[in-house]
Amino acid sequence: MESDGILIYGELTSEYNVKTVVKQILTKACSLKEKLENCSIKVCLIGNRRHYDELINELGVYGADEVIITNDDRLENYDKNYYPEIFYQIAQKYRPQIILLGSTAQGKEIAAYCASKFNTGLTADCTNLDIAENNRLLSTRPTFGGQLTADILCKTLPQMATVQENIFKDKRIEHNAFARFEWINIDEIERKIEITDIIKKISEKKDITTSDIVISGGLGACKDNGFELINKFAQKINAAVSGSREAFEKGYITKAQQVGQTGKTISPKLYIAVGISGANQHIAGIKNSGKIIAINKDENAPIFKYADYGLKGDLFKILDELIRQYNTEKEEKQ
Amino acid sequence: MNIVVFIKQVPDTDDVKWTENNNIDRTNTESILNPADRQALETALNLKQRYGAFVSAVSMGPYKSLEILKEAIALGVDDALLLSDSKFIGSDTCATSKVLAACIKEKFLNTNLILFGQSALDGETAQTGPSTAVRLSFPFINNVCEIKEINENNIIVISENESEKITYKVKLPAVLCINNSVYGYSIPKIEGYIRAHDYNYKIYNISELRLKEEETGVKGSPTYVSKVYKHNEYRNCRFINTDELLNKIKEVY
Ligand SMILES: Cc1cc2nc3c(=O)[nH]c(=O)nc-3n(C[C@H](O)[C@H](O)[C@H](O)COP(=O)(O)OP(=O)(O)OC[C@H]3O[C@@H](n4cnc5c(N)ncnc54)[C@H](O)[C@@H]3O)c2cc1C
Ligand SMILES: Nc1ncnc2c1ncn2[C@@H]1O[C@H](COP(=O)(O)O)[C@@H](O)[C@H]1O
Repeated sequence: MESDGILIYGELTSEYNVKTVVKQILTKACSLKEKLENCSIKVCLIGNRRHYDELINELGVYGADEVIITNDDRLENYDKNYYPEIFYQIAQKYRPQIILLGSTAQGKEIAAYCASKFNTGLTADCTNLDIAENNRLLSTRPTFGGQLTADILCKTLPQMATVQENIFKDKRIEHNAFARFEWINIDEIERKIEITDIIKKISEKKDITTSDIVISGGLGACKDNGFELINKFAQKINAAVSGSREAFEKGYITKAQQVGQTGKTISPKLYIAVGISGANQHIAGIKNSGKIIAINKDENAPIFKYADYGLKGDLFKILDELIRQYNTEKEEKQ
Repeated sequence: MNIVVFIKQVPDTDDVKWTENNNIDRTNTESILNPADRQALETALNLKQRYGAFVSAVSMGPYKSLEILKEAIALGVDDALLLSDSKFIGSDTCATSKVLAACIKEKFLNTNLILFGQSALDGETAQTGPSTAVRLSFPFINNVCEIKEINENNIIVISENESEKITYKVKLPAVLCINNSVYGYSIPKIEGYIRAHDYNYKIYNISELRLKEEETGVKGSPTYVSKVYKHNEYRNCRFINTDELLNKIKEVY
């Protein structure tokens, strides 16, 4: 059978909403579709839900042509034994040219499973996707610890890629998706993996992936009251706090707050880097930010090359000054 | 219990040297044991201590990779072997996982547990472990940080992501990809170094793994790199004062 179109894994949140990364992939898929002939965008939803209408609408708004739904009582929650195999069976049936998934825990697992079953290539954690000659998918990803960028092509079909959240921007379009229900027989799968316990880590911290302003501390702030000042200022201006890997390793931030290649990718309207040198692996996580401001005492710190605005000087003095000025302005207003 | 740990030698990406043409200077960039693979070795050695086990370290790569196999022997693994063949050169994750799966099928029929690092510094695809597992039809768990318990049939492990800590009970044989393990860093003893120095490292080539030429290396790799470049994300930095910084914040809201 001829293979056609783009298939996307429609990952849902635990509240059964479409994950942000799926919307972002859909928007990217729309631009790929323009460059391919007769290409349709399909999203595969796996689960056990009674009401799909909203989800189908939502996926349509972001550009899905078709939503393929597999429904089964056993599929209430993500299950490592079933989900990868079901997605693989759907992919086998529809023979897409391109398969895209989020680089989430689920997405990565399903992607590795399908790629091996298909004996095809998989490019993980892409930072860009495009169509090259002969309608081939061109996947771009960082390599060598983020120091280089590689363009990767795949000789076989389907061509598979995973994408981290917030690499692409999502965009709503006027579009209606068509729904298709599929019944997949999954009786024969042996359950080799069982969950015996889940501990949710609770975080009261403001989410760095959704905040308009993010202030980030690096090793320079990992002494005295550096992070105290950062947190204080962040609270005043309603910003989220993140940090470099150094800050994570020194225990000043949680893993969920780490920005960069092995942390989160973020694209706030304003990113303020305080005492961060600007290593490639760090820049990888922030380069899509609107404006970047760097505060550093070393005028040769690489971070200044990646920044729109810079403040050269001691971060402790600068933060003190910022907080003081902010307070004065507030008082004057009252 | 038999445990296999797959380890890889990688360039130290913290210490990359560049040539004049902006290429990576591979001859002067240090090579190291991939950090996550070190964690996988520590996990295996911890299991050996707790339950008794025969631990084998396996690497696929050029003869230079014997350096990390020596390190593994010095740390206390029981056996170490290298999968090396000019026909393996250029293998992507797909082709690599075929070689590693063939190694298990041909040489480690009685393996109970296979450990990988979560990801390699140079590639960072984090796919080799899961792909190998799928080829062997073994279950796999990513991001493992701790092993609670193991018996003849099952292993109980903790996998940690940023929002949850999940405990899984997994049927053996199984594949685990080890992230930051809780087992720390052990330091080799003198006897370890002596054993590593005198050890007779086995080396297997493509025919000993009963693989066909077209299954591995460049031929067996579906993906290929069409271009590599150093990116330039530079912006034009203008120096400002704290007043202006506060104004930039106001512009956002
Ligand atoms: C595979 C791999 C993955 C990685 N992933 C990540 C990642 O996801 N995220 C990440 O951040 N890093 C990552 N790293 C690490 C990265 O290479 C850098 O080591 C790290 O980003 C450096 O953190 P830093 O800028 O906080 O510290 P440093 O590089 O030590 O910089 C500290 C800066 O603070 C400045 N400073 C010190 N004191 C003051 C002061 N009083 N006032 C003003 N400025 C001051 C200094 O001038 C310096 O520029 C990774 C590395 C590898 C190899
Ligand atoms: N050539 C190799 N030889 C042995 N193990 C490997 C090799 N390549 C990858 N691995 C294993 O697979 C893990 C993940 O690698 P990667 O998928 O490249 O991120 C590594 O941490 C190693 O445990």
